[in-house]
Amino acid sequence: MASDPQMLANQRIVEDLASRLRRRQVVGSRQAALETLLVLRQVVSRARFSNVDQLVDVIRSVGRRLVDAQPKGRAHSFLYEYADFNHGSFITGTSEHSVGNTVRKVLHHIREEYHTATEGSTPAPAPTFSIAKFVSQGQPRKQQTVQKNDAAKVPLKENDPDDPDSFARTLKPVLMEAIQDVFDELETVYDNISKNAKDHIHSDEIILTLGKSKTVESFLKAAAHHRNYTVIVAETAPSFVFSSFHDHGLTRHFTRYGGREMAKSLSSAGISTFLVPDSSIYALMSRVNKVILGAHAILANGGMFATSGALLAATAARAYSTPVVVCAGQFKLTPLWNLYHEYGALDFGDPSSVLGFEEGDLVDKVDVVNPYYDYVQPELLDAFITNYGDHPPSSIYRLLKETYDDEDNEL
Amino acid sequence: MSEPSKDGPPTPLSSSQPSQKSMTKAERRELQERQRAAKAAQKQQQGQGQGQASSSASSRSKAQGAPQKKSESGRPRASSSAAPTSSRDVGGAARDGSGGIDSEGPKTRGLRIFSHFGLPKTSGHQVKGDIHPAIIRLGLQFSEFKICGANARCIAMLTAFKTVIQDYTTPAHNTLSRHLMTYLSPQISHLVAARPMSVTMGNAIRQLKLEISGSDIDLPEQDAKDALCHIIDNYIRDRIIIADEVIEDLAVKKIKDGDVVMTYARSSLVEKILIRAHALNKRFSVIVLDSRPLLEGKTLLRTLTSTTPPISCTYALLPALPSLIKEVSVVLVGAHSLHTNGSVYSRAGTAMVAMLAKEHSVPVMVCCETYKFSESIMLDAFGKNELAPLKFSPPEAPKPHSNLEVLDPLYDSTPPTCITAVVTEVGLIPPTSISSIPLALGKTSL
Repeated sequence: MASDPQMLANQRIVEDLASRLRRRQVVGSRQAALETLLVLRQVVSRARFSNVDQLVDVIRSVGRRLVDAQPKGRAHSFLYEYADFNHGSFITGTSEHSVGNTVRKVLHHIREEYHTATEGSTPAPAPTFSIAKFVSQGQPRKQQTVQKNDAAKVPLKENDPDDPDSFARTLKPVLMEAIQDVFDELETVYDNISKNAKDHIHSDEIILTLGKSKTVESFLKAAAHHRNYTVIVAETAPSFVFSSFHDHGLTRHFTRYGGREMAKSLSSAGISTFLVPDSSIYALMSRVNKVILGAHAILANGGMFATSGALLAATAARAYSTPVVVCAGQFKLTPLWNLYHEYGALDFGDPSSVLGFEEGDLVDKVDVVNPYYDYVQPELLDAFITNYGDHPPSSIYRLLKETYDDEDNEL
Repeated sequence: MSEPSKDGPPTPLSSSQPSQKSMTKAERRELQERQRAAKAAQKQQQGQGQGQASSSASSRSKAQGAPQKKSESGRPRASSSAAPTSSRDVGGAARDGSGGIDSEGPKTRGLRIFSHFGLPKTSGHQVKGDIHPAIIRLGLQFSEFKICGANARCIAMLTAFKTVIQDYTTPAHNTLSRHLMTYLSPQISHLVAARPMSVTMGNAIRQLKLEISGSDIDLPEQDAKDALCHIIDNYIRDRIIIADEVIEDLAVKKIKDGDVVMTYARSSLVEKILIRAHALNKRFSVIVLDSRPLLEGKTLLRTLTSTTPPISCTYALLPALPSLIKEVSVVLVGAHSLHTNGSVYSRAGTAMVAMLAKEHSVPVMVCCETYKFSESIMLDAFGKNELAPLKFSPPEAPKPHSNLEVLDPLYDSTPPTCITAVVTEVGLIPPTSISSIPLALGKTSL
C-alpha cells in the first residue's frame, strides 16, 4: 500500500505539517488544530481501507507522526544551558497539544459513525450521561441524529473479499461529514465561548487578564457589548505572540509582550483598559474582581498549561480570594497528566528576549531561563468556560471521557 | 502620620497630630502653612468635583470620583471604594494625583480608583522659592532615577542637607534652632515634588528636625552648624553604613555551600551580602529575577558577574519564577520600608516572589535596616504607591489614549505571613516584631 501514489501524497502533506510544527511556524492551539484537521481530511479521503481498524491505524500513525514532530523541551536548542533544570520525567513534552487532541477527536467521531452505521438505528451511546450535553442543552450541537438516519440506510460490509473498497465507499461520506463537524466546531469556537460572556462579567467589574489569548480577547469583547467594565492586562514578559503570519508562513511579526497587543486590541474595541507590568499583579489584585485566563492545554486532572505568568496570577488571586476563570475551546482538553509539577511543559523560549545580545558582556556569564508555559494546579482554578458549557476543574475528566475514546490516550 | 512633611495637609482622619502646645514655633508655623495649603487644595478639589458633577461625563466617573471627594472634605467615606487603611493615605496621595491632572490638562485618567497613584513626574518641574543648588541638582537626580533606592536617596539627601546647612546663615532677630527648619522645609518640598519621599528620607528628616530644634541657642552659629553636620554624619554611619555591615554578617551566615539564593530586582544591601558571601569563599549560585518597569536586576547581574571568579548566576523575568522556585534554598530581598503590621513595602514583584516561596516552603529573608521602619499600617500597596516615569516604558509599548492607560506601579506590599525573617542590625526577627524594637521607633538615637 505504501507504494500507492495516494499514500505518497498523504505522506507528503503529513511531513509538511510536521516540519512546520517543528519549526514553530504553526503557532497557537487553534491554528494547529485546524491544520491537523485539514491533513486528516485529506488522509481520510485518500485512504484505502476495508475495515474500520485499518482506518483507525492510518489516522493514528498520522497522529503519532505529527505529535512526535513537535519541539520537545529536551531537544530544544534555544536555551543556553539548561542541564540543571533537566531532571524528572515528563509525560507531556509536546508544545501543541491540540494536534493530538484533534486526532483523538476525529478517531472518536469515526468510531461513533461506524457504530451507528453498523448497528443501524441504535441511538448515540447513552446521551443522558453526558454532562457536556447536559450543561449545553439547547445549544445547536451538530445535527448528528439527522445524519445517522441517512447513514444507516446502506448496509455496511466489512472485509468484503469481492469488493474491498465497498466499506470505504459507504463510510467515507459520513466520515467526511464527521470531520466537517469538528471543523465547524473549531471555526465557531470563539463565538460559542463568548456567547455567555455577559453572565460572567458584571457591570463595573475590574477584570485581570494575562498576555494575549484570542479566546479571552473575543470573550472580553463580547462581554463589552453588554457591560461597562475595566480590564487590567498584565503584559507577560517575554511571551511571544505571532500576529499576522497567515501570509506565507514565514512573514511572522512577533512581539515580546503579548499583553501589549491585547491591551491595544481591547482598548480599540472601546473597553477601558490598563496595561501593567507583571510585577504589579499582586499590588493591584486587591481591586480585581475576577481573573480571566486563557489556557494552552487543559489536563485530565483539571489543571492546565497556560502562558508563563498564569501561575503567579492564579496564586495571587487565591491570596485575595479572587475567582480565576479560564476560557478555552474544547479542543484544548488533553487526556494527559502532569504528575511532576516541575517545569510547565518543559518548553523554553528564546533567551535573547529576556537578556538581549545588546547586554553582550552578560550573556556568556549568565544562564537565562525563559519557559513558555506554567502548569496551574486545579486547586487554583474556579471554572472553565468552554464551547461545551461551563465546568469546574473537577469535572474535566468526565468531559474528557465523553470527548475521546480511552484507547486513543496514547496515540 | 509618620512623615509629616510628606503627607502635606493633615486630613481630618489623622489623629496623630501632636498638640499645638508641645510644638516649637517653627513647627507650628509649618502646620499653619500646611493647613492653609490644605484648605486651598480642598477648595480646588470641591470646585473640580462640582464641575465634574455638573458636566456629568458618565455615571461611572462620578461614582468613582465621589469617594475621593469625600475623603478630602472629611465627610464619612463611602464604604465600598477603599480599604479602611488606605483611606488615610488616599487623602494625601489623591491630592498629588489630582494636582497632576490639573497641571497636565483635562486628560481623563480612566478609572478613578487609580487616580490617586499620581502621574509620573515630568523631569523639568519648576523651582519655586529659594532652593539651594545642591537640592535642585538632587531633585533632578531623583526625578531622573539617577539616584534610586531607599538607602541611596536618604544618604544623598542628608549629604545635600549638610551643604545646605553649611551655606545657611541665620537672619537677624532669629535663632538657628527656630529658623533653620523653615529654611529647610521648601528644600524638602522641592525634593518631594521631584519624586515622592521615601520612608527613609521621612525618618531621617524627622530625626534632623528633632536635632535642630534641640540645638543650643547660645552656641555660636558655625559651631551649631558643625554639630548638626556631625549628627548627620553619625546618622548615616550608624543607621545605614554600620547597620548594613551588621546585616551582612548576619545574613551571610544563612548562605551555605551549595545553596541557590534567589533575589528579586536589586537591593544594594542584598548585593553587598552576596558579594560578601562570595568573598568568604561560599559556593552558591544566584537566581536574579527581574521585571519591568525598572529592570534593576541587570545592574545586580553586572556586579555579581564582575567578581573573580564570577558568581554563577541565572537570570529570568518574573513569570519564570514558578519554574525556578523548586531549585531555590533561600530568598533574599531588600525593602523600601517596613510597617507596624509587619508588611514589607518593596519593589513591585517582591510580594509574588515571597508568596510563591512560602508556597514551596522556601525561607524568605528581608534585609532591612531599622531606620526603614514606618509607624503606619499597610494592608495593601493600593492606597500608597508610585508610578514609574514614562521614560521607563519602552518605545514599542502602546501609547496611552482615551481607553488605554499604562500603569507602572513601583511598589507592592508583602504581607507578613509570606516572610520568614527580617534581617536587621539588631538581629533576625519576625516581621511583626519590628515595632517592639525601640531603636526602630527612633526612641533612642545611637
